[in-house]
Amino acid sequence: MLNGFFTPDLFASAIRMATPLALAAIGGTICERSGVVNIALEGIMLIGAFFGVVVTLATGQVWLGVLAAVLAGVALSGIHAFASVTLRMDQIVSGTALNILALGLTGFLMEVLYGHPGATDSIPHQILPVFNFPAASGTGFFATLWNWINPLLFGYTPIVYLAIIAAVLGQWAMYRTTWGLRLRALGEHPRAADTVGVRVIAGRYVAVLISGALGGLAGANLSLEQVGSFSENMSAGRGFIALAANIFGRWTPVGSYLASLLFGFAQALQIKMQAYQDVLHIPVQFFLMLPYVLTVVVLAGFMGRAVGPAEVGKPYEKE
Amino acid sequence: MSEATKSPTVDAWWMRLLTTVGVPLLSVALAMAIGSVIIVFSGHDPIAAFSALLQGAFGGWRQIGETIMRATPLMLTGLAVGFGFRANLFNIGAEGQLILGSLGAAWLGLLLAPLPPILSIPLILIGAALFGAAWAFIPALLKAKVGAHEVITTMMFSWMALYLTSWIVSGPLADKGGIPQTPMLSGAVWLPTFDTIIPGLPPMRAHLGFLLALLVAVGVSLVLRRTTLGYEVRAVGFNPSAAQNGGISIPLTTIYALCISGALAGLAGASEVLGVTHRFFDQVSAGSGFGFTGIAVALLGKKNPVGILFAALLFGALSAGGGTMQLEADVSQKIITIVQGLIIFFVGAETIVTWFIKRRKRLALEREGATNA
Repeated sequence: MLNGFFTPDLFASAIRMATPLALAAIGGTICERSGVVNIALEGIMLIGAFFGVVVTLATGQVWLGVLAAVLAGVALSGIHAFASVTLRMDQIVSGTALNILALGLTGFLMEVLYGHPGATDSIPHQILPVFNFPAASGTGFFATLWNWINPLLFGYTPIVYLAIIAAVLGQWAMYRTTWGLRLRALGEHPRAADTVGVRVIAGRYVAVLISGALGGLAGANLSLEQVGSFSENMSAGRGFIALAANIFGRWTPVGSYLASLLFGFAQALQIKMQAYQDVLHIPVQFFLMLPYVLTVVVLAGFMGRAVGPAEVGKPYEKE
Repeated sequence: MSEATKSPTVDAWWMRLLTTVGVPLLSVALAMAIGSVIIVFSGHDPIAAFSALLQGAFGGWRQIGETIMRATPLMLTGLAVGFGFRANLFNIGAEGQLILGSLGAAWLGLLLAPLPPILSIPLILIGAALFGAAWAFIPALLKAKVGAHEVITTMMFSWMALYLTSWIVSGPLADKGGIPQTPMLSGAVWLPTFDTIIPGLPPMRAHLGFLLALLVAVGVSLVLRRTTLGYEVRAVGFNPSAAQNGGISIPLTTIYALCISGALAGLAGASEVLGVTHRFFDQVSAGSGFGFTGIAVALLGKKNPVGILFAALLFGALSAGGGTMQLEADVSQKIITIVQGLIIFFVGAETIVTWFIKRRKRLALEREGATNA
């Protein structure tokens, strides 16, 4: 009945679906470690996805599109940094305002630039996978093995690999460098960090901007690698799921990546299950609900046991 | 010395006035100004756009009715989000509770139509409020028991609400004809429009839900100020550890507060269904947006029922005039979403005002210290 359900494609699809979540979650981790909550990641992703498509369509260069996505994310997170670090504004309010702003701005500019609501034009060429090895023919052991290894290891577009690099590099930087030590101090005890000469304000700015760059890159992955165009509100709650992944991953980059894999797998699973609707007799809406249900279940199960940075969400006032 | 002891009280009244009236007005003005700049950059005329908007919102009785009609659910979602704020809870998922309330109203409306309206309508409203409260209950429980942040959980419940109701109106409660919507409600359970009650008014879509919203605002105000529950909610929001030391259960108050917030959002949905749409539509592609705008309303209204009334009327007017603006000035209604985000931002950024005042005071003190020395 479920013949051909657990194929290499299902797992490869999970890794692809995990990528935007993972990038945003790692961004969220770095940001929260510095003591700033960034619920604007949803809007950052959205604006990154949008400007990625706009610049790609305008220049014909998809890599300029990726750059634009990152810069757009940095710009929006810059506002969040100014609001929450300098103005000491409520970080959730600032994030909410920026999410709504991003939704309005992308919807508005879409109509101005392309003359129709709902979605932008499609980009001529999506970003292609880095490698392009042929599948093995035949049914022998090595042929089967290769047909698992090839899509699972070599079947991805560049940003999918970048997310893995970001996780490893982030983990290393957070635990093996002075920067990482200082970053963690900012979120745990900014007063103490300040006393020993760590620049709290500058450090928090850098962390928020990094999260913006990663969130923008996540948007580029969505629009330039996965879909090939931008549609209204296409981030669809991923920024919030990413924050849950960051908690589930216990505020570590590698943990965030692994937690995102779980949510990515749920997403891949629900897409695959839709194809089996005739067999399963479950309304499609229940599959679509799966990632959101899983997010709540994970938060319910792990929240009590995971302890975040002590000073997260609290603005710092120099004495 | 006497100067130093007197100045805080002197500051207090004018600063309160500034932050309760001045900051919101300034925020709206700033947001409109930035909106105008964006309109100019998009190659249109902001003056034409805003005058079309004003015309569409206040140009006549019908337009005023449209503004009131749009303001009605916003008042209720604004009160919902505002009530959460009082207990230090950010109910970002009011949208989901509103969707469940709408569905509950549509379902109960079908079920209770045979009863006399004096009985059926209150029952439907109570039922819809319970639907909204139920949708907030699990996030409330998770917040109280394990500390799962309500911003993430209520948001996830909003998405679930969209898909759940999408299934219900295309399956169990579907109307004939294949459109994902519930059957039309019998006129007996509709909330009447003002023109059917007050003779002489031209046909308009503003309905009795507006009075309901006003009553609810008074009710919320009384609950907050005159009841033990209201006191506990405010105490938890103001200083949780002091509240706990005073014997208030924080988990229990959290659950009550978020569920009441959900109930108010559910009422907003019921008012829309009974007063405007008279049925429940599949909202997967559109969504009402009333829940999210409710956040802006609550923040702009400074979490205070009277302020929320004015903020809801403002956003109702923007929403009612948006269509006219798009039609006559060719400026996309999306500009209103942008203005909304900006208003939230500027209202939230009132700390910039206090920051300035503190800075000035510190400088003054330093100067005083210097002259004394």
